[in-house]
Amino acid sequence: MIVLEDYTYIYPGRSEPALDGVTLHVRQGEVILVTGPTGAGKTTLCLAASGILRHEFGGTSTGKARLLGRPVEEFRDLSEIGRHVGVVFDDPEAQLIFTTVEEEIASGLEGLDLPRDELNARMEHVLELTATTDLRERAPHTLSGGQKQRVAIAATLALGTEILVLDEPTSELDEEGTRMLFRILQRLRSEGKTVLLVEHKLDALFDLADRMIFLERGRILAEGTPDELLREDRIRSVLHTTPETPSFCRTPKVCLQKPDVPASSPLIRIEGLVHDYSGVTALKGLDLEIEAGSLVAVIGDNGSGKTTLIKHLVGLLKPTQGRVIVGDHDTRAETITCMARHVGLVFQNPDTMLFEETVEREVAFGPTNLGMEDVRGRVEQALAEVGLLAHRDEYPRSLSRGERQRLAIACILAMAPEVIVLDEPTTGLDAAESARIMTLVSRLRDEGRTIVMVTHNMRIVEDYADRIVLLEHGRLVADSQNGGEELICQRFYSTFREPASSIA
Amino acid sequence: MPEILQYVPGTSVFHRLNPLTKILMILVVAVLAVTTSSLSLLTLLVVVLFIAAAVTHLSRPLVQQMPLLISLVISLLLLTVLSMQSGETIGHLVPVAIPLVGGAFPITVGAIEFGLLLSLRFIAMLFAFQLLVITTQPHDLVHALQRLRLPVDYALMFLIALRFIPSLQLEGQRINEAQLARGYNPGTGLRGVVRTLVPIIVPLVSNSLAKANVLGLTIDLRGYRTPRRVSLRDRSLRMRDYSAIALILVASAGFVALPLVHLLN
Repeated sequence: MIVLEDYTYIYPGRSEPALDGVTLHVRQGEVILVTGPTGAGKTTLCLAASGILRHEFGGTSTGKARLLGRPVEEFRDLSEIGRHVGVVFDDPEAQLIFTTVEEEIASGLEGLDLPRDELNARMEHVLELTATTDLRERAPHTLSGGQKQRVAIAATLALGTEILVLDEPTSELDEEGTRMLFRILQRLRSEGKTVLLVEHKLDALFDLADRMIFLERGRILAEGTPDELLREDRIRSVLHTTPETPSFCRTPKVCLQKPDVPASSPLIRIEGLVHDYSGVTALKGLDLEIEAGSLVAVIGDNGSGKTTLIKHLVGLLKPTQGRVIVGDHDTRAETITCMARHVGLVFQNPDTMLFEETVEREVAFGPTNLGMEDVRGRVEQALAEVGLLAHRDEYPRSLSRGERQRLAIACILAMAPEVIVLDEPTTGLDAAESARIMTLVSRLRDEGRTIVMVTHNMRIVEDYADRIVLLEHGRLVADSQNGGEELICQRFYSTFREPASSIA
Repeated sequence: MPEILQYVPGTSVFHRLNPLTKILMILVVAVLAVTTSSLSLLTLLVVVLFIAAAVTHLSRPLVQQMPLLISLVISLLLLTVLSMQSGETIGHLVPVAIPLVGGAFPITVGAIEFGLLLSLRFIAMLFAFQLLVITTQPHDLVHALQRLRLPVDYALMFLIALRFIPSLQLEGQRINEAQLARGYNPGTGLRGVVRTLVPIIVPLVSNSLAKANVLGLTIDLRGYRTPRRVSLRDRSLRMRDYSAIALILVASAGFVALPLVHLLN
């Protein structure tokens, strides 16, 4: 179906090749898992294999690329390629063009030459398969990241192409969504479709792969069955795996809190917190106390209220009922500017905040706003802390994803808050880079800062958290410090483990 | 956050009309609004449109535009008063009592009338356009525009513009929150506003541009640019469309005839 032979590709304006002498043969009905560290060229490989690179990006290429037995340059344009190849890109937002889910799926279908009854049947089938039936009337901007991803997958599946390319399709899916994707892939496989799948979150999907490819710096370093490849340490180190039996589940009665943390009065006190967004109650009476110097992981499914909770800590949202107290500041009474001195919030996507010309100026923005003294010194210290001093004069947006994430943390560090709140700090990063971020976060905790972190990644929870709190439907249902370990473990096994397999 | 120009699901008469009928309505309103220069006729046109919206329970989105409309009317009035003088002078922007500069910028009846005329034209067209957009699924609108032989790329451009308004609003809000958490304090005064906008606008534009690539690829690959062959929905004109078209034509005939009757008397 797909053949790349000694294929080298250089993006326009670059000198380093993004793909370097890649040879890949994909047979019909194969499911190929493409892995590798961030920036290894995984997406480029998929674009090359489907002929999109050749038709849309320019740049220079050498070697052969054939699709369905024809050289890719013989295809007239992308819409001809689109009749054979369906692609789900890793930015779900940008793939939803219409204003309701139903239209999104219908519009692709209408381009096919099929009778109306058949199209309607296909629509229902796809909606059901992707669990989007309830979303059919919804507008894209009202959907969560995971829901958007499901709709993007649905719209692509509807086209019924024989080849599918999925670029990190689980990046915003919770465990339930990942399981759904697993079932879809199983089905596609039984239908004989050819699938190229780029993924970091390995154990969720690796059972399905006939073959796994490990890319690094544009070269295929290893190729084989997933079992063979996962024996290599280098490969395991960049892939996210879920812990088989987390230590907190093995010894459920052990308190996770580090013994050397003094049992002082809590730094953060949340009392009876209720929050209404026009009509929707996101938090339904939540109580939580957090001691200074601990690292607390907040877990829960999409829509359980995690983000709403952390926005209250910095005063971006004010309680509808109840109160949030940090140190001796009640967030209801204080301005956000005041709270920003005490609580630093690092948003999920660093690109939401980066706007300056240089890394240094980006970090200086916060302390300057707060009228702090010795801004230069603070910037220097923060950059040294996150290991970006060498990049101080660079343009922030040209840094790699992992570097931008560390820069976002530096921007907050420079304001020297006692509490640092992180929303999904490792999303979009490979395991090696995630570990780097988390080492930094642990060090900040060891230096005496209090860390509150929202995450989906159970490996990170297992390796770094002192305490775990589980949110469900706007309520705190379990706290590892208050005898909640059992429930957390139960959820862990029922929702986080089921699709995974016997990863050694 | 109010949503600007977004489809509101519903089952009103306007929802059930064919998009072509509604496009005809916009064209008729536009032609009437531009050709007449009678303030009373234009007022009548605006009132008729608003009543049509009210009886079909669609007046809320129209009312939501009020702040925008009021500021538009005020700036149009200011512009015409400053730039034209005709007819009787009824006052001055700078009171005569003030020495030296007193009596500058006279306010004339002609200028006020012209300002109101422009405002009413604009409001009439905006109301009609809004009724179309909030009651038509964008994908049906694209089909209708294609049936009117508008090139598919233009139809898609129009669609994407509508689709991304709320996404941009949300993204802007998210960026604003991120900057607030860094102690960003929106400034006062025009200069302050312009300068402090940079931390919001730069990420907003960069992030949107980053999406453009994937958006374009998706449109091509899903074949949205190929002409539609089959439609999932029946899109032929129905009885209610013909009745509506008749109504529109009768009403517009009325609008044309009214001044004539007036003239004959």
